[in-house]
Amino acid sequence: MRRYLEKVRCNYPVSIHGVGLSLGSAEGLDPQHLRRLAELAHNIEPGLVSEHLSWSVVGGQYLADLLPLPLTEEALEVVCRHVEQTQETLQRRILVENPSTYLQFPHSSIPEWEFLAALAARTGCGILCDVNNIFVSCSNHGWDAATYLRSLPAQAVGEIHLAGHASRSLDDGRVVRIDNHGSRVAAEVWTLYAQALQRFGCKPTLIEWDTDIPELEVLLEEAAAAATLLRAAQAGSHACAA
Amino acid sequence: MPAPPESLLETQRALRAQLFGADGVLGDEAASLQAPWPSEPRIAPRLAIYRNTGVSTLVNALRLSFPAIQRLVGRDFFEAAAQQFIRSQLPASAYLNDYGGDFPEFLREFPAAAALAYLGDVAQLEWAVNRALHASDSPALDLVRLAQLSQTQLARVSFVAHPGMSLLQSQTPADLVWRAVLHQDDAAMASIDLANGPVWLLVERDATGLQVRRLGEAAWRFTARLCAGLELHAALADESNEQINAVLADHLSSGRLIDFRLADNDTKAHDAAQSRGELS
Repeated sequence: MRRYLEKVRCNYPVSIHGVGLSLGSAEGLDPQHLRRLAELAHNIEPGLVSEHLSWSVVGGQYLADLLPLPLTEEALEVVCRHVEQTQETLQRRILVENPSTYLQFPHSSIPEWEFLAALAARTGCGILCDVNNIFVSCSNHGWDAATYLRSLPAQAVGEIHLAGHASRSLDDGRVVRIDNHGSRVAAEVWTLYAQALQRFGCKPTLIEWDTDIPELEVLLEEAAAAATLLRAAQAGSHACAA
Repeated sequence: MPAPPESLLETQRALRAQLFGADGVLGDEAASLQAPWPSEPRIAPRLAIYRNTGVSTLVNALRLSFPAIQRLVGRDFFEAAAQQFIRSQLPASAYLNDYGGDFPEFLREFPAAAALAYLGDVAQLEWAVNRALHASDSPALDLVRLAQLSQTQLARVSFVAHPGMSLLQSQTPADLVWRAVLHQDDAAMASIDLANGPVWLLVERDATGLQVRRLGEAAWRFTARLCAGLELHAALADESNEQINAVLADHLSSGRLIDFRLADNDTKAHDAAQSRGELS
């Protein structure tokens, strides 16, 4: 696998997007995982390195999903410590992505957007703004997406993600939206993306589609739709670099 | 009723219990810790979203590591077996290339697969293949260093094997089954006599790619003793003959041995450490 990646890197810039570092683990980062990431980043020299605002390891067991954090002062301190540790080990700034979440903890005391803003301010890390995740979490928890976007520090946002999601009706009649990277980007998410570009400027944008992968043509159409919005935002703002 | 958890660690332990049971076993009923939210029915389907994603990620990791097993038993059977394995053992880290080393043993004991005697052997071979594919590159032992040793020292030398190399003894011709399945070669599959075992295999990655080689029993036993770190004279045991010397020469020239140690040095290092109080 590494050899293929090295060949790709010879011809293209690469962005490393991690899912296993578990920045929110109360028991600390897995030193082996951090070491492997540092070696990879050293060899590949990626343009960007990113991880998630989530956790997946407790008691020496990896639970194989991006699990939600209680948004508390303690969790903020833990995540800040781990982001600093990662940045020191990698000798570079990382981006931290807002997650899609399906449940909230009653003892959460900090809105997610404030949590991310504080994380960026305290550690100097960047924010990977996943617009689909904002839409999914806001819909699931009754948060306001406009407030979320408005509250993120624009200068910290270094990358944007888009993706498709699924909607499922639960027995109690409520609808839960699930980030599954398995369909076209929803119309509401495109609208939110245009607003994000206005606020954050033209940022590198990735469309995530890794389940039920369609014909290449469909992927190219989605990429073209993002490019159109990027160009429109660029034309509307002289601040945007080409 | 105990109070809901408040610390981050308590919350994470409680969520693990809700998702996989307190001891890492799947199922709501196994949760012995207080949930980090008030008990209400709308939480269960939301927990199920996380549980399903976690389990399907791990099933897919096992599918990638055991493609021949999946072809042998079919997608649905594989999924059922993998889910049961996951219930018995969650990964120890996020490095999923390391997850599944106990799956071959699980399959050997899996009652639903009892009729397929070769399944455990093929799974063991696939795990060795994974190790070979994922091992980091290690430069071969510099033979000039070996040549500087005296005959006496040479007899006391022990070797370090390449991390991607595995030795397997299989009661069934697992290598033939594995090849036929992955090549979807029905004719080859039909011609396999499962009684035609045991086979002694060496799995490695060389300059041209993955290799699954058959060794003679004597060569395999010698190699296994070498890889276990036995000194050369002990590894040779009573099999010291020209054929075994050729096997050693082949291992050295093929880069299967990447370093060596001398027993005397080890003894000195051990004594020094002991005098510093590092060893009990």
